[in-house]
Amino acid sequence: MRCLSLEQIYLFLEKELSPAENKRIHMHLTACPKCKKALEERRLLLQAAEGLPIWTTPPNFTQQIMARIFPVRVSPFAWLGAVASGFATMVLTLFVFTLVTGQNLSDLLISFYHTLLHFVKNLSPLLVKILKLATIFLKILQQLGELIIKGLTLLTTIISPQIQIILISIAIIAIVSSIYGIRKKLWIGEKA
Amino acid sequence: MNEDKYLVEKAIQGEIEAFEMIIQKYQQPLLNYIGRMVGERELALDFTQEVFIKTYSSLHSYKPQFKFSTWLYRIASNFIIDYWRKKKIDAFSIDHQKKLDKDLPPLQIPAGEESIVTKFETAQLKKKIERALERIPASLREVFVWRHINELSYKEIAEIKDLPTGTVKNRVFQAKELIRNLLEEAP
Repeated sequence: MRCLSLEQIYLFLEKELSPAENKRIHMHLTACPKCKKALEERRLLLQAAEGLPIWTTPPNFTQQIMARIFPVRVSPFAWLGAVASGFATMVLTLFVFTLVTGQNLSDLLISFYHTLLHFVKNLSPLLVKILKLATIFLKILQQLGELIIKGLTLLTTIISPQIQIILISIAIIAIVSSIYGIRKKLWIGEKA
Repeated sequence: MNEDKYLVEKAIQGEIEAFEMIIQKYQQPLLNYIGRMVGERELALDFTQEVFIKTYSSLHSYKPQFKFSTWLYRIASNFIIDYWRKKKIDAFSIDHQKKLDKDLPPLQIPAGEESIVTKFETAQLKKKIERALERIPASLREVFVWRHINELSYKEIAEIKDLPTGTVKNRVFQAKELIRNLLEEAP
């Protein structure tokens, strides 16, 4: 039998040949040192090639792809939620303000009403301009809000839940301590 | 019905989780293929994402009589060919392949063939193969990666590349012999 071709050697090593061809090659290899040497050389090459390191994907790679395929869409109900939370924030701010300054809430509202009435009576042309400016400002604020929501959504896909909990905890601690700090400062001021 | 076809059907029906499972299953083999074709990790990660986006947007055109993995890998292969074309690298053209076929490695064992592989230790050999792989023509590298890194069958590679199985076998053989010949030159 004539010597093996190099392609035959590879196919033999990869078990791609028929049983009859395999048998024939086995027989030839027992009698031909040249082919046997060439086969051992290719066997080592194949073993090394099949053991090459694999490229691993980073953690959250699936979530990154999913976020690109299914971007978050804000529903009309989400806007209602945003308005409600805005109102709640206003009420909360008033509450904290009365708590910190020690003023009566009803007095505060009455004084605010009088100031507003005076302002409307005397400065109505300016009010129109301010309203116009406020509309523009609100539009910018709305776009900024959308950007923040998008950013936060992206962050939640990238940052692990454990880190998210830590960040939220730090933010709560910062808010509470700043309120406590303001109150303490005003109290010291009153005492002085 | 096999798992892939079931997942594709569910994804078409709007079940997001089904496509998420497809991504989890195929992200690694796709990154291995794309990574070896472009050579840069960040670019490979970006391209892998692009391939999944492309796959999702054309999910309706998938025909269940074909294997899903073959269809997905074909999308990836075409994506890479487009990338080479845009970079104006003549790596997959017919003329280029004809030129390669002219410079075929020897089919028979040369007389007094020197042993190259045994000169290196396994870890060193792997590094040298990796370097040599970067230097062989892209059309040969592609079939080598499908066969010996992603461990696909010759039949499946032939279906991905729409080539006769014999041609694929021959190209993988050429790739391996070219790599072997480049081992000594590879740094």
